[in-house]
Amino acid sequence: MWRFKEREEEEEMTVKVRFFARFRELFGTDIVTDAAPGTSFIDLIKKIAEKNREGYEAIFDTNGAFREFVILMKNGKRIDCTDAGKTLINDGDEIAVFPPVAGG
Amino acid sequence: MRSLCSRRLRAGRTFCGGNMIAIQTKDVDIGQLINTAKQRGAGAIVVFDGIVRDDDIQEMELEAYEEVAVKELEKIAEEAKTLHNLCSVDIIHRIGRLAVGENILIIVVSAGHRREAYEGSRFIIEAIKAGVPIWKKELTKDGGRWVPGEHVHGSGKPIR
Repeated sequence: MWRFKEREEEEEMTVKVRFFARFRELFGTDIVTDAAPGTSFIDLIKKIAEKNREGYEAIFDTNGAFREFVILMKNGKRIDCTDAGKTLINDGDEIAVFPPVAGG
Repeated sequence: MRSLCSRRLRAGRTFCGGNMIAIQTKDVDIGQLINTAKQRGAGAIVVFDGIVRDDDIQEMELEAYEEVAVKELEKIAEEAKTLHNLCSVDIIHRIGRLAVGENILIIVVSAGHRREAYEGSRFIIEAIKAGVPIWKKELTKDGGRWVPGEHVHGSGKPIR
């Protein structure tokens, strides 16, 4: 039995989530979190955001979908908001969530 | 016309063929960039210098997703060189706290002729505005306000 538990723990993944600009002020800079295999991008962010009502409402609409202006990245590549439910998280991924950019 | 300068890499910046792509807190010597841009084949140099505007603010605070932003600036520079036949491209975007009048973004391009230099410079600034992960916050005596982006692209596809 203990071996089974040890195996379960091994399967737990570690993911880094980075928020920027206004979202950083709401959630913090870098969050290292565990995720179970099969966790989707949107599930992971919801798990973090649900602890912070103001932050949740900044990112998600009343239907629980990402607000249309929110930009998502996985390992430096943009992810379409509509694909966030089917994009699975892998061990060691770096996830980023941020508002529209305003450089220049 | 590509310079034969060797490629050297440093933290947060790239020097390639005489070009400098960087996100950094410190200012840059624009005169030196212009001198470096005077390469063989160059007949025109265009300098874009975006500065902190006096909009009744105390300071401006800038932040970037640095690792991604540098890669995207490098990609934009290469695209601009190819599309507009540029000899050299320098892009330096500053982050941190900046006072009114300080340089935010310096773009120096050289090309054989003015049309290519102007168009290449314009292409670069518009591409940066459209998609590079950098943000600005205006700090006023009443607090602060994030500058809204010009482009809404939560679809993940930057508008170009």
